[in-house]
Amino acid sequence: MTVDRLLDIAVTINPGFYLIAAAVWAVFARGPGSRGVALLGGPALALLALLYAPASGTEITRSFFLGFNMSLYRPDSLSMIFGFGFVLAAALSGVYSLHREDRMQDSAGLLYAGAAMAAVFAGDLISLVVFWELTAVASVALVFARQTKQGQMAGMRYLLIQLLSGLLLMAGVVLYGLDAGSFLFADLGQLHRGVLIGMLDIHAPGGLLILAGVGIKAAFPTFHNWLTDAYPNTTETGAVVMSAYTTTLAVYVLARCFAGLDWLVWIGAAMTVYPVFFAVMENDLRRVLAYSTNNQIGFMVCAVGIGTPLAIDGAAAHAVAHIVFKGLLFMAMGAVFMRTGTTKASELGGLHRTMPWTTLFCLIGAMSISALPLFAGFSTKSMIMTAAHTPAMFAVWLMLLFASAGVLEHSGIKIPYFAFFSHDSGKRPKEAPFTMLLAMGLASALCLAIGIAPGWFFELLPYRSVAMAFLAQDLFTADHLLVQMQLLAFAVLAFVLLKRLKLYPTEQPGVILDIEWLWRKAAPAITGVLGRLAGRLGVWADKAFGRAGAGLISGSGQIFAPDGVVARHLPLAGAAIWTVALLSFVLILAMSSPG
Amino acid sequence: MTETRSGEQNDPHPQPAGEADEHPLSVLLFSWMRSDLFDRMFLAGLGALCAVLAALELVIHRHDGGGIDSLPVFQGVFGFLAFALAVLSGWPLGRLMRRPENYYRDQPDKDPDNTVEEEKEDGHDG
Repeated sequence: MTVDRLLDIAVTINPGFYLIAAAVWAVFARGPGSRGVALLGGPALALLALLYAPASGTEITRSFFLGFNMSLYRPDSLSMIFGFGFVLAAALSGVYSLHREDRMQDSAGLLYAGAAMAAVFAGDLISLVVFWELTAVASVALVFARQTKQGQMAGMRYLLIQLLSGLLLMAGVVLYGLDAGSFLFADLGQLHRGVLIGMLDIHAPGGLLILAGVGIKAAFPTFHNWLTDAYPNTTETGAVVMSAYTTTLAVYVLARCFAGLDWLVWIGAAMTVYPVFFAVMENDLRRVLAYSTNNQIGFMVCAVGIGTPLAIDGAAAHAVAHIVFKGLLFMAMGAVFMRTGTTKASELGGLHRTMPWTTLFCLIGAMSISALPLFAGFSTKSMIMTAAHTPAMFAVWLMLLFASAGVLEHSGIKIPYFAFFSHDSGKRPKEAPFTMLLAMGLASALCLAIGIAPGWFFELLPYRSVAMAFLAQDLFTADHLLVQMQLLAFAVLAFVLLKRLKLYPTEQPGVILDIEWLWRKAAPAITGVLGRLAGRLGVWADKAFGRAGAGLISGSGQIFAPDGVVARHLPLAGAAIWTVALLSFVLILAMSSPG
Repeated sequence: MTETRSGEQNDPHPQPAGEADEHPLSVLLFSWMRSDLFDRMFLAGLGALCAVLAALELVIHRHDGGGIDSLPVFQGVFGFLAFALAVLSGWPLGRLMRRPENYYRDQPDKDPDNTVEEEKEDGHDG
């Protein structure tokens, strides 16, 4: 077999598989060289596969599995930009984690990246769900990696939420595919100006279940606490890895399946606003960043709901830029966490004296997320703001504008200010290790490259011509720069005045109550009481109706046995629904169990 | 486990600057911020910047939607008020929603894996 033939085969493989192969390698890697091959070689191969990817929108590999057509590799312009973001994330987190010799985390991180990448290049719903669930399995290992009681509890909650989301998604996909007669993307939707977006009908059977499953992973309002619970409870590298994939993948799936769905505009707008208030109160800076992630994903969800080419470009561009600058902020906080053992604002301050490189990179990340002109967030978020700035969506635009000021508060100012400046905590930690600084430096360079000269980046977007026209006519115009600078400068003025007037709330240790209170506090209390009651009732019933109870169990066995009434008469779709309902019930019970 | 240089970890009254231990890059980039005049100079500079940005509207035509966003310095005023609202809401909301650290009873005292981290890293730090 010649080299050309091997290359021909190599480009027909979903790029995510190279990362998954690197994950397998990482399990057995011993020594820095071997680890380096896995952590950097995997992303390098995946990047090469992306660069040589076949023509956009073509199904490269199709397989027949269990009676269904599946497409394991269908690259198009939407999947390419998300794939590019995931390769960047894998490479940056690979460099960042070189300091820590932990094969389990190396492997889990690469598997997570590979599964996410494989998902964006999947060409059918079944493959998408399988790869997406693989991301859940891989990511939960990162939450458990901290090996503390707190981490284990957070990991269990994270796993249960992800399983619930996966069940909803799976049931929705089964219903939808059976009703449509195909699971292939190519059969489900039509191209919109050359890109397959918004391919699913929310009103079709299974559509709502799919949206619910994706919504949990996108951290929709009331389902957002898995994010704020898990990210601060993992290791310094775990948070960096986790910040990149699950929510970004959800944005991709929303764009692919539900672009233009009105509900998403309002859901996204709500997501941008409410985390601002929680982030202001929060003392743990990694948790602040988790709320900030929720807020930034809101911008993308809103853009997907708007659904115009400029909005879709904005969602995709902001998703990738967010991977870079949020990863950078998590890297900076990870370095602080590793060196001081805490990311609580009330215990930090003054670290710039001995961690100036980390401070500098954190400031670049902060300016990027705040959308300061010439930084990444400005180039990408501007597309979303422009797409939303219409008379019909004026209220939404105001919400996004409020959220932009809020981002400046919690991520632009609070994170660097309380960690590195503010009052002097007296802590004099060493600067972060070289490899961590290198990763932060690369991410900073990318933030500046996307901010100063975004042309190369806009070339990668789904609607390239629309993005390039926006760059030429809108992005760096004087009036656009003026209004953005007004927003930021006046907001900073508010910060300085509030600090001088001592009206800025002091950072206080404590836990901020959120919707998770329902399952972390209320539900265990209720199930505890019900459990004790049920226990007493059981003892009493056993004494009173011993024989009748045995008969009931026997009867149930006949109904639910493989050849019972249910199995004979319930159709496949109904069985899927009942299975999901039962498993969801068990999951909810498990989440509510005390302790 | 907190990693600090010897003698400073448990100091209840830390010295403000710690210049002896300070990284040269920190001196270059950030030491000027510790000047007594910095706060006042920064506020004055920021105020001047805001004034210039407001005045620029006289010479730069702003694209707006024709609603209240066409008011003078709309984004500046909106940014100021939005920021202030977000921050000031922290007072009542914090009082309402903040609970002790161990409210959920799964808070550890310290993170053990950072102890291991320090030992592993001593050979190759930047």
